[in-house]
Amino acid sequence: MRVVIVEDNVLLSSGLELLLAAKGFEVAAVARDAPGFLAAVAEHRPDVTIVDVRLPPTFKDEGIHAALQARSLHQDLPVLVLSQYVEREYARELLSDGRGGIGYLLKDRVGRVAEFTDALRRVAAGGTAMDPQVVSQLLLSRDPLAELTPREQEVLALMAEGHDNTTVADRLAITLNAVHKHIGNIFAKLGLSPTDSGHRRVQAVLAYLNR
Amino acid sequence: MRERWTQTRRSAGYLLVSLVTAVATLVALPLLVWPSKARAWAHWHRRRAGRLLGVPVPARPTPPHGEPRDGWEIRTAPATRRGLLWLPTHLLTGLPFGLAALLCLGNVFTGLWAMALWWALPAEAIPTLQGEIPVDDWATALTAAPLQVVVLAALFWWGGPPLARAHARICLRVLSLSEAQQLTQRVEVLTRTRAGALDSHAAELRRIERDLHDGVQARLVATAIRLGVARDALDEAPEGVTELMREAHEGIEEAMTELRNVLRTAYPPILADRGLDGALSALAAGCGVPTRVHVEDLGKVPAAVEAVAYFVVAEALTNTAKHGRATRAEVRVRQTGTGLSLQITDDGVGGADETLGTGLAGIRRRVLALDGDVLITSPQGGPTMIEVEVPCG
Repeated sequence: MRVVIVEDNVLLSSGLELLLAAKGFEVAAVARDAPGFLAAVAEHRPDVTIVDVRLPPTFKDEGIHAALQARSLHQDLPVLVLSQYVEREYARELLSDGRGGIGYLLKDRVGRVAEFTDALRRVAAGGTAMDPQVVSQLLLSRDPLAELTPREQEVLALMAEGHDNTTVADRLAITLNAVHKHIGNIFAKLGLSPTDSGHRRVQAVLAYLNR
Repeated sequence: MRERWTQTRRSAGYLLVSLVTAVATLVALPLLVWPSKARAWAHWHRRRAGRLLGVPVPARPTPPHGEPRDGWEIRTAPATRRGLLWLPTHLLTGLPFGLAALLCLGNVFTGLWAMALWWALPAEAIPTLQGEIPVDDWATALTAAPLQVVVLAALFWWGGPPLARAHARICLRVLSLSEAQQLTQRVEVLTRTRAGALDSHAAELRRIERDLHDGVQARLVATAIRLGVARDALDEAPEGVTELMREAHEGIEEAMTELRNVLRTAYPPILADRGLDGALSALAAGCGVPTRVHVEDLGKVPAAVEAVAYFVVAEALTNTAKHGRATRAEVRVRQTGTGLSLQITDDGVGGADETLGTGLAGIRRRVLALDGDVLITSPQGGPTMIEVEVPCG
């Protein structure tokens, strides 16, 4: 799987290269800023991209803009955005085009190699990967969620992170049937019609939460 | 005794110089009515008077760099008025006081001179003592002349220093600020330095946030990645090594979390990235209650003030979502003449109590730290309104 990275900090980009090489990914290019990233994407047509939020020249949220721009230029380009802090607002913007293949994780998560590469593959396959912190920020802010049982909240949180039903069942040590039942209840309580696609479920949840 | 001698000598100098400057004032009057000249002239006198009385005199305020000259002239108008008032005052006091000193001391010298040298002078230049007494024989030279010297010297010894001090006091009285003016000036100085302190505080906050982000945080992440890769590659490790690496990895993850929390509470990163407007919109978008944000075009707001505004709105909206049972909330931010004004309203049930819970108390604490004001109105049944004003400098 070919990856293009944009990360201005050499320490971090070399760490990412090391990790990706060890796990069998091919790093096609490492860009240092947004224009370099767009050029590298056009040149290498990667399977997935990894984007840092703070990039030169202003070190603000260039990465978010670069990710959105790349996705508007290259239909369905999978982008995993990494940041040293997560903001619900950025998640909303990244998800706003309503397409899959998007991830938004804290850089802390990269050290969890298996989980990180899992998330990267999920994004590359058109799914989503939301940092648990984004999800918890979302869940905290919405009162109607209080109607959900604690178990349903757990299921919703895992769904929002982008996990499929099997993983949710594994994580919570419950049966797949139980997961289906919980999801049905959640959608019913939140007034959403159930679907099975991982990222569409997240979008539905986020769209509702950010209404 | 010696001290008294010094005092008398200094008083003599002071009074004689006062006489000279009083005459100079009279001569240079057309020049001295120019405001800046009047202020400088007055200040010179004030320093002299201060030195004589042993009273500290503040340095002359200089126009702050970059301030328009007109504004400065207006603000120093009281000083100019005092400087102009000093001109006649000095003429009325410096001339007579200085003349008295000159007469007194001059005649002491005449006496001394007559006593010692009367015989050496030609007849037409014979010195005369007070009372038209010519000194033309030794009898007068050794009686009347020493008498004049002793009497006048004693007179100056006794009267000179109080006279000099009186002039100096009048000078300070005329030229010193009134208490209200002193306070006004103090407030002006404090306001200026406070704005400077806020600015440098803001710059520091941003620098620390950036340094930690680029340095410590990046290094922690890079280390965590390497540890993660190493753990992943570690199939058959000796007893305990896997456990130690897991602990090290978790330690680093905790450090990253703690560091992020510290940064978030000191200076929220989204403020650095999006500015106050963007950060508040993000807060509103994430609030459970539909919230409208109106931010007027803000000028330069110190980062410390922005951070407080952000925390106040975050706290207020959290309260609204948690307890207010509101259906709508509104945030208004605008710049007033002196600072930043925030108004957060919701249509909830009201009854917010500062003594319960830490949210409102936290708002008050943060705002007061920047010398701001908080007004919370939340009657039972609502609506709740939190108004905050934070000075920007």
